[in-house]
Amino acid sequence: MNDSQATREVFWNITQVWAMYALLVPTLVIAGFGFYRRVRVWKRGLPLDRTDRPIERIRKLITHALAQRRTTRDTSAGIFHTLIYTGFIILTLATTVVFIHQDFGLPIMRGKFYLYFQSFLVDVFGALTIVGILMAAFRRSIQRPKKLVYTDEAAMILAVIFLIAVTGFLVEGWRIAATSDPWGHWSPFGYLIARASGPLMSDETLKQSHAAVWWTHAVLVFGFIAWAPYTKMAHVAFSPFNIYTASLAPVGASLRHIDFDKAETLGVNSLAAFTWKDLADFDACTECGRCTNFCPANTVGKSLSPRDIILDLQLFMRNSERGIQNGNSALRTPHSAFNSPIIGTVEATSPDALWACTTCGACMEACPVFIEQMPKIVDMRRFLVMEEADFPDTMQEAVTSIESRGHPFRGTSLGRMDWAEGLNVQTIDQADDAEVLLWVGCGGALVERNTRVTRATAQLLEKAGVSFAVLGREEKCTGDPARRIGNEFLFQNLAKENSDKLNRHGVKKIITACPHCFNTFRNEYPQFGGNFEVYHHSQYLARLVDEGKLKPEKKSEKKVTFHDPCYLGRHNDEYDAPRQLVKIASRSNPIEMKQSREQSFCCGGGGGMSFIEEPPDKRVNGERARQILETDAERVAVGCPFCMTMLEDGINARKGERDVRVMDVAELLWESVSADVRG
Amino acid sequence: MNIVVCIKQILDPEVPARDFRIDSERREAARGSANLVTNIFCENALETALQFRERAGGRITVLSFGSESAEDSLRKALAMKADAAALVINDGHPHPDPFAVARALAAAIRKIGDFDLILVGRESGDWGAGQTGALLAEELGVPCVNFVDHIDSDSDGLRLKRQTDAGWEIFAAKPPVVVTITNDEHNVPRVPKTRDVMMSYRQTLTKWTLDDLDTDAASIRAANSYYEIVDLLIPVKETQCEFIEGDSLESRVENLARRIQEVTDAL
Ligand code: SF4
Ligand code: SF4
Repeated sequence: MNDSQATREVFWNITQVWAMYALLVPTLVIAGFGFYRRVRVWKRGLPLDRTDRPIERIRKLITHALAQRRTTRDTSAGIFHTLIYTGFIILTLATTVVFIHQDFGLPIMRGKFYLYFQSFLVDVFGALTIVGILMAAFRRSIQRPKKLVYTDEAAMILAVIFLIAVTGFLVEGWRIAATSDPWGHWSPFGYLIARASGPLMSDETLKQSHAAVWWTHAVLVFGFIAWAPYTKMAHVAFSPFNIYTASLAPVGASLRHIDFDKAETLGVNSLAAFTWKDLADFDACTECGRCTNFCPANTVGKSLSPRDIILDLQLFMRNSERGIQNGNSALRTPHSAFNSPIIGTVEATSPDALWACTTCGACMEACPVFIEQMPKIVDMRRFLVMEEADFPDTMQEAVTSIESRGHPFRGTSLGRMDWAEGLNVQTIDQADDAEVLLWVGCGGALVERNTRVTRATAQLLEKAGVSFAVLGREEKCTGDPARRIGNEFLFQNLAKENSDKLNRHGVKKIITACPHCFNTFRNEYPQFGGNFEVYHHSQYLARLVDEGKLKPEKKSEKKVTFHDPCYLGRHNDEYDAPRQLVKIASRSNPIEMKQSREQSFCCGGGGGMSFIEEPPDKRVNGERARQILETDAERVAVGCPFCMTMLEDGINARKGERDVRVMDVAELLWESVSADVRG
Repeated sequence: MNIVVCIKQILDPEVPARDFRIDSERREAARGSANLVTNIFCENALETALQFRERAGGRITVLSFGSESAEDSLRKALAMKADAAALVINDGHPHPDPFAVARALAAAIRKIGDFDLILVGRESGDWGAGQTGALLAEELGVPCVNFVDHIDSDSDGLRLKRQTDAGWEIFAAKPPVVVTITNDEHNVPRVPKTRDVMMSYRQTLTKWTLDDLDTDAASIRAANSYYEIVDLLIPVKETQCEFIEGDSLESRVENLARRIQEVTDAL
């Protein structure tokens, strides 16, 4: 027979097809209601604009929903998910083709297209879907990685889609056998079933079984469609939606602004205080567990789990719609449940967990559907700090110190300009025509070890002939720790004060060795009238080398690994400039640790955590030190004053193992530039 | 119960040693880049008052005698939930002696009205004279109990607790009384809620000049009537390092003992 005539009869052997169409109606109604129910809740959240810049959003959708760049990072999960996901898309397309062919009367399901796509490709992808399902089932039942959530629902979903795929093949195979389909071999797996069943089953049995399984298949599919929006399978719709409406700003700009003149409560302690997007985030979670898997606090055994925060609040939200709170009390109304406190109500949001977050952003970077876990944590901290004044003592001390002394390092014996002793560094009053401002930062001025980094940076700038000045005694904390701890009020006051001060001095360009200051200037000060060209010192120094203004003379023999500061890397996407400096200053390329760049592991010092005494067996810096020692590096390069002290402490605590020196990239470069400095 | 807590704004005593300078002309600590903060013992006094109010009720007024900038300290006290605040602006001598301060505060307290309990920090972190409490009691003609760290009340009046080397002393006192407060792990000043900090800027704060008070303003302005600061300097600490030599452990120990004897004899 001629291939161009190839096709098959839709609804062969099926009578009372109307019943299927009739079934479609309740299916769609139930599924639609499932989605509507979710959207209805989101609409109770606070407003937020997430529809601007559609082109960028569509681009994001293509990279992350269609091409699933993040999902496929985790290889084992990536493979099975790709198999099921592509199978799902191909099979949906195939169904659409049938629909157009049959119900629209457009006979497209014929000829080559029928053979290549509708028969062969669909058959192969159907089989691959089954492989994917089996892999997922193997992972869930045998491998059982810790990061997954083990629910009956998840197992049921796998079972149902497995049955749908298998019944699909049986229907196909028995049709091929019963009709002696001349193109049957174009569907290789269906054909195998046909060949296997032929000798065993009479024509009559084939026909009867075909009809029975066809209906089973149809009912399963419809049932699944109706059920899906009520399960985590809703992510099929929610994920793309969530990716489209995700924040386009860098992680470093993800904290919400509070308008103190309008805000009713400061921070968040109820579902009602979240934005609609936060609520949508709860529903979009696929339970994949990547966020918790990458969370440094969780890794070292603290109770913080970003996944559980999202999922517990999801459950809390769903229960609240029915007026249920804490499992059983059905006495509350949905309204009061929506407004009732969340902090500590579910385990995941206990203050202990909230005060373990380093705001490193690893969770946000890992999440395949762009859920923003960290800003929610900070939102809840804000409530504890601003409405309750209930937060860890040592953090209180840091905040109080910022309030009254303009820096968080209570008890420091250093002054703002001590680091410059013996150097010819000018303050902005003495050099108001300076081209750039070197923002020293509290860490760079008031923590002994970091003053050496500030010195190296200043000396490099001087050597390169850069006209720079510092604020000196006028400098005050940018407010980063206050903001991350949750005192948004203090942060905003500092942001306004500092922006005004810098504007008054006519500052245009800022260089800083502190990624936290860098992030704050770059992403947060513009809202307060502070618009500056901001450089991390690694960026500026790398440029000076490129321009030939700094001439590295020596290369160190020492093997170096580089530790990405969260607020430079993940928060601001700068991974290369500091590595470039390491490369310039040493013979070999930097050694990469197991976790680096986007997936780098925090030093433990962000989010105000360097002002907290961690239990010795649960220290984030201890784990990072272990990862450093795992390489054969003799030095670890850093680019942040907090990383410097956290990693020095971490390595010192493991002194017995191996001595690795922590050095800032500016120190490495200074060593290589100045002939008289020894390493 | 009407409670008045007197607070003083001072130069941050935690300014790094290297930044600390003395203005020898004015015979005072140079402001430099240091900030102004509320004296810690005054904050302990306020905290003690707040805790007492939680148990026994009452109304707390915070009072300061100082420059305009002392408003910040009073606002912070309001944020910590004091009920009212009053500032007597000192337009006289920048460092009034404790007698002048006590007179100004007493006049202001009389103007505030009835009082039962006056709390004062045991001393200030700048001059550390520790006189104001007792002198204030004298001015007001009421008794004074010093170095208290906890206040309670029962049907007989107040119970004032103070720590001594031997244990606790509990004083029973009938108001009105002046009490000076020392620090204790239980009266660490609370961190105010941000909401309250915001609200504190909207609260009214009474401001008086010395002329508004029923007192001899001129003598307070003149101040320094009882003593004069002749000179002010930073003590110089010198350390010398000496190695004790010897052939054996015994001889080194002997030499060390002899040297210690010599040094102590010389003192
Ligand atoms: S920001 Fe970092 S520490 Fe905080 S929850 Fe996310 S991964 Fe964990
Ligand atoms: S929040 Fe994101 S990364 Fe975490 S479990 Fe849910 S989908 Fe996965």
